[in-house]
Amino acid sequence: MEYPVQLWPDAPAAEVAATSLLDTLVLLPPRPSALRRLLLLAATTALAAGGALGPTSGASCRLLPLLLGLASGSNLEPGFGPTSEQRPLQATACECLRELESCKPGLLGGTLGLLRGLLGQAGPVQPLSLLLALALRNILVVQSRAGAGLQGLLMAGVSPIKGGLWDWTLVEEGDTHIQPQAPSWQAAEEGKHGLAAREPHLEEAREVRAAVAQLLDITYLLTPVAQAQLLWLLGWALRGLQGQPPALFKPQLVRLLGTAQMTLLHAVLALKAAFGEALFTAQDEALLLRRLTLAAQHPALPPPTHLFYLHCLLNFPENCPLGPEGEEAAPLLLRPQMCRGLLPSLLHDPMALLARLHLLCLFCAEEEEEEKDQVQSLQHSLEELLAGLQQRAALEGGPRALAVLCFQASYLVAHCLARQPTVLTPLIHGLAQLYQARPVLAPHFVDLLGQVRPELGEPLRVLLRQEVVSRPGRDEALRWHLQILAKVANGSDQCATLSFLQAAAGHCTGWDLQQALLRVCRALLQAGGGDGLADLLQVLARQLEDPDGRDHARLYYILLAHLARPKLGVALAPSLAVPALTSSLVAENQGFAAALMVQEAPAPMRLSVGSREIKGPLPVLQLQVEVLEPVYSLELRFRVEGQIYAPLEAIHVPCLCPNRPVRPLLLPLQPRRPAPAQLDVHALYTTSTGLTCHAHLPPLSVNFADLFLPFPQPPEGARPGFFEELWDSCLPKGTESRVWCPLGPQGLEPLVSHHLRPFVVVAQPPTSYCIAIRLPPDSRLLMRLEGAQGDGAPVVLRTDDWAVLPLVGNYLRGLSAAV
Amino acid sequence: MAQRAVWLISHQPRTALCGTVRFSRRYPTVEKRARVFNGTSYVSIPEDGPFLKALLFELRLLDDDKGFVEIRDSCSHINKTSIYGLPIGGEELWPVVAFLKNGMIYACVPLVEQILSPRPPLISISGISQGFELLFGIQDFLYSGQKSDTELNTKLSLLPDLLLQACPFGTLLDANLQNSLDNIHFTSVPQPQKQPAWKAGTCKKIGKTMEIIIQLTKEVQSTFFDQHDLSVPWNFNYRFKCACDLEGIMPNVTISLSLPTNGSPLQDVLVHPCVTSLDSAILTSSSTDTMDDSAFSGPYKFPFTPPLESFNLCYYTSQVPVPPILGFYQVKEEETHLRITVNLKLHESVKNNFEFCEAHIPFYNRGPITHLEYKVSFGQLEVFREKGLLIWTIGQKFPKSMEINLSGTVAFGRKSHEKQPFDPVCIRGTAYVKLHFKILDYTLTGCYADQHSVQVFASGKPKISAYRKLISSDYYIWNSKASAPIIYRKFYV
Repeated sequence: MEYPVQLWPDAPAAEVAATSLLDTLVLLPPRPSALRRLLLLAATTALAAGGALGPTSGASCRLLPLLLGLASGSNLEPGFGPTSEQRPLQATACECLRELESCKPGLLGGTLGLLRGLLGQAGPVQPLSLLLALALRNILVVQSRAGAGLQGLLMAGVSPIKGGLWDWTLVEEGDTHIQPQAPSWQAAEEGKHGLAAREPHLEEAREVRAAVAQLLDITYLLTPVAQAQLLWLLGWALRGLQGQPPALFKPQLVRLLGTAQMTLLHAVLALKAAFGEALFTAQDEALLLRRLTLAAQHPALPPPTHLFYLHCLLNFPENCPLGPEGEEAAPLLLRPQMCRGLLPSLLHDPMALLARLHLLCLFCAEEEEEEKDQVQSLQHSLEELLAGLQQRAALEGGPRALAVLCFQASYLVAHCLARQPTVLTPLIHGLAQLYQARPVLAPHFVDLLGQVRPELGEPLRVLLRQEVVSRPGRDEALRWHLQILAKVANGSDQCATLSFLQAAAGHCTGWDLQQALLRVCRALLQAGGGDGLADLLQVLARQLEDPDGRDHARLYYILLAHLARPKLGVALAPSLAVPALTSSLVAENQGFAAALMVQEAPAPMRLSVGSREIKGPLPVLQLQVEVLEPVYSLELRFRVEGQIYAPLEAIHVPCLCPNRPVRPLLLPLQPRRPAPAQLDVHALYTTSTGLTCHAHLPPLSVNFADLFLPFPQPPEGARPGFFEELWDSCLPKGTESRVWCPLGPQGLEPLVSHHLRPFVVVAQPPTSYCIAIRLPPDSRLLMRLEGAQGDGAPVVLRTDDWAVLPLVGNYLRGLSAAV
Repeated sequence: MAQRAVWLISHQPRTALCGTVRFSRRYPTVEKRARVFNGTSYVSIPEDGPFLKALLFELRLLDDDKGFVEIRDSCSHINKTSIYGLPIGGEELWPVVAFLKNGMIYACVPLVEQILSPRPPLISISGISQGFELLFGIQDFLYSGQKSDTELNTKLSLLPDLLLQACPFGTLLDANLQNSLDNIHFTSVPQPQKQPAWKAGTCKKIGKTMEIIIQLTKEVQSTFFDQHDLSVPWNFNYRFKCACDLEGIMPNVTISLSLPTNGSPLQDVLVHPCVTSLDSAILTSSSTDTMDDSAFSGPYKFPFTPPLESFNLCYYTSQVPVPPILGFYQVKEEETHLRITVNLKLHESVKNNFEFCEAHIPFYNRGPITHLEYKVSFGQLEVFREKGLLIWTIGQKFPKSMEINLSGTVAFGRKSHEKQPFDPVCIRGTAYVKLHFKILDYTLTGCYADQHSVQVFASGKPKISAYRKLISSDYYIWNSKASAPIIYRKFYV
């Protein structure tokens, strides 16, 4: 039964199993038999776990009425067990129904009235109470959505079996929405999760209250664990009903608070979290805290219980919480005097010590003036405790758990009391002494340094560095010293570190020690290196016995010699590459390679062609750049498709920053024939983190008009003659064509002045213009625009290059649209 | 509030796996709900093998304690409750309730009726405390009266049937498994309704003598130092045990505790869940409050319906001006040996009539005792050389002077790790004397449960007997020449 997936891989298989179990049940002889109970449990498990439970399942339709019949102690089928067995079977049937209801909320919605009746008359109290409470809770969830008549359900004393069929209507509602019984209480408060708070009708509310009161009245007859279950269920049920004061629970509280039963106190805490001030006044809250404090240290209770109560204290659901949600804190009403028995001592086991230490730290962190003496006294206790922990961790041959505890305590203190130098300073010195006594704890120190905030981390680094470099490096502790140095070595005070390493190099005989040594070098390299380091690396590259070590040292030397400091930092930063298991050098090289090679990146900039300015003998594109992030040493490379222009020079820009104005970049073009083109653009640049990146930018278009150049202008009077000369010289080698240039509403003049002004040689505005354009490398285009009519102007054009005619046609036709 | 699975694992150090799963039970219908509730954060219940390995690793019970393992030993991996997250197959199984007791690991995984990521607060998970109670119940059942491994095995073999009674679908019905055991052998006596669920099916036979036995036990804890800025903290815990053998379904009993004139009030009262009501004045009296004369001074009434077995009706503390035995202990490390001095003084107000009284003087983290020279003013000294332990048997009475002392020198041999295990507390001169004593028919406060004050609402008149005793518990006297592991300062006074 424990592995339903193997037993019943699908619902039909579970259905078959349940059916055969029910068949067996009927066949049992009418004398007492323990098998009846087991068969009921098994059939229930098969249906619920096998996923067969549902209105279409024959076994479900047999089992449910059978269980309900048994639970109500009435209509037992003739021959179904002797009367002496009735009572245990009644309880079992209730348990089975409860399990089925848990898996299909709403299943027993129709039986609420019946169950209430049973609870009032006869029948085992606990199974019926729990069943009724669960059904009530679930129906409130289902009903808050379905709007089913709750009052009717609670009052009806009839069976849900209508015409021999089970009423599944409420299940359909609940089925898809199996709801958390206790999501975070706050969330439920806001009605976000499932149980949307609703306002019931007056009569409905009265019935619900009556049912809850009926259940609460007899709770003391239940076992403590069942009492707790009942309280959770009823608490949850009442939460869904707005305007239902939880005062019903109040008479139970004194009795519950008197015990130290974990389930009962936990249920009370859940009620506290659920109803807050509505159920617990400030005095009640203080009393609950006191009881928790007492239970958290009571010698009659087992240690796991103490720990749970300590946890509850640190996560106490206060009426008026002050701190941020989700962070452990001492409740406001919990004063240090109340917790004098909860302070940590070395006699406690690690978990109890840490939990109590946390509480102590929270008290030490309090900054109220009137409690200054008390806080000082507590801080003193804390100091002594930490010293004791350090002493124990320093014991030669002591178990690792002691060291772990010491570092965990240090972490906790550093975390809670980061702003209290009076606590941190002795802690840091104590830790440094601990290292002095037991360098074998180096991995713990490295771990601690990686986890704590700089308030503890920085001074501890300095102390540990001093501690390590002040010792001659030859003893067994060398590898631990090197491990620590790799973590704490940095730019300052390199001299001492280097001389320590020089002294240590001679003793680093094995591969692992050499690697440890090189790791320190790497750390120094990352911090910027220095002359001394270069010398050391050269020495190591020659002297180390292991070839891997020598290669490593050489690599570091090369990096140090060739890379600028920022680049070095980037190159040595933690590698993203997964380390290979071959040589460590290979593994590391993967990291370097990533940092030193050009990396593909998405374009960090936008490039566009700006307005034209005509200067010089060649057409020049003005490029506008916009960057999204700082970019250094930018090189823009252009390539023309089809070789219609001569190769283009790259553009170099030293530095570009976002939101800083940039002068346009000038890109001279050398067309081999006068044609528009697409420019393929690549950018190569360095990021602010020092990585070199390459990005492919969207292509730039060079339009036909971008290639236009004017003829040198003759003196004013000579212009008509000059134009006519050009006009005539085109033929007979060239060609003449006539095109229709559509005009916009403004007519010819604005069109010419907007697009063609630099090229006009002779003009008689607004009707007649003679235009001469030079097209590099050596073509010309001459146009006469005369006799404009309403919607267009005839253009006579001559050129010495046949190939440009379609381009000109397109150009002229596009002008009116572009005005 | 249900459990998805339960395990019992015996911890066996220095074996291949360091443990064996002795019992496990999975609840498939609960698992089905877990899959729905937990949604994408659902992690299935692992097989016994991987679970055993992961749990022993997390609890630090594997033998390979040598190296630093970050996921377990990192300083930020702090666990302050017996609730763990176990990494299994790349996923984390949470919450796992687990603890070790008497070489047995008790573990279960409660159902969390919500998404597991981010982890919901423990207070919002009802299955946590239910899981603990289930495990405590199993532990009580296994170890109540159990003496040998055979008995343990017998009890373990009963567990599947018992859990089928007490926790048939993973939701615990009764943490008292003994009740369930009685229920299995159900009798044909028709059970009346309104019977408390925590009373087993059997009923007292009519006509047999009824009896109520009341036992008031005072456990005294104490710690002594001889350093000027340290006060002497000590406290008493009283255990008020009751055994009622009564007729009827719901016999009601009320027992009252009375104080002598000027007696200190009872504080920190904890009662058994069978107590039906409690005066709120009893509940609010706390040892952390400053005393005032208006404090409630009894009589303290406890109405209850007794369960069938004997049970602890209530616990309380009370403030008494002096500890019964004052002590002084000094250990001086000399070149090759330790010089020890112990002085004990019985307070004059205490009844000088012990059932037994002895002082245990252990020496930790040293080798076996090789040499001992001593002088006692009273009683006998027994030496356990291999264990490094001296037991000073004081006997039934202190001498007339009420003061006794022991002095001597002890030398130790080479330490061997198997015979003298490491003790993390007694290091660098930290050492203690622990007193064990018992005085019958006596309590320091004079608080008493009068036979005549017992009211019984049942047919027939039961025989009522009441006993009192004072016993020691954690009664330590620390070496005054070294730092003590407990820090109590003036703050407490």
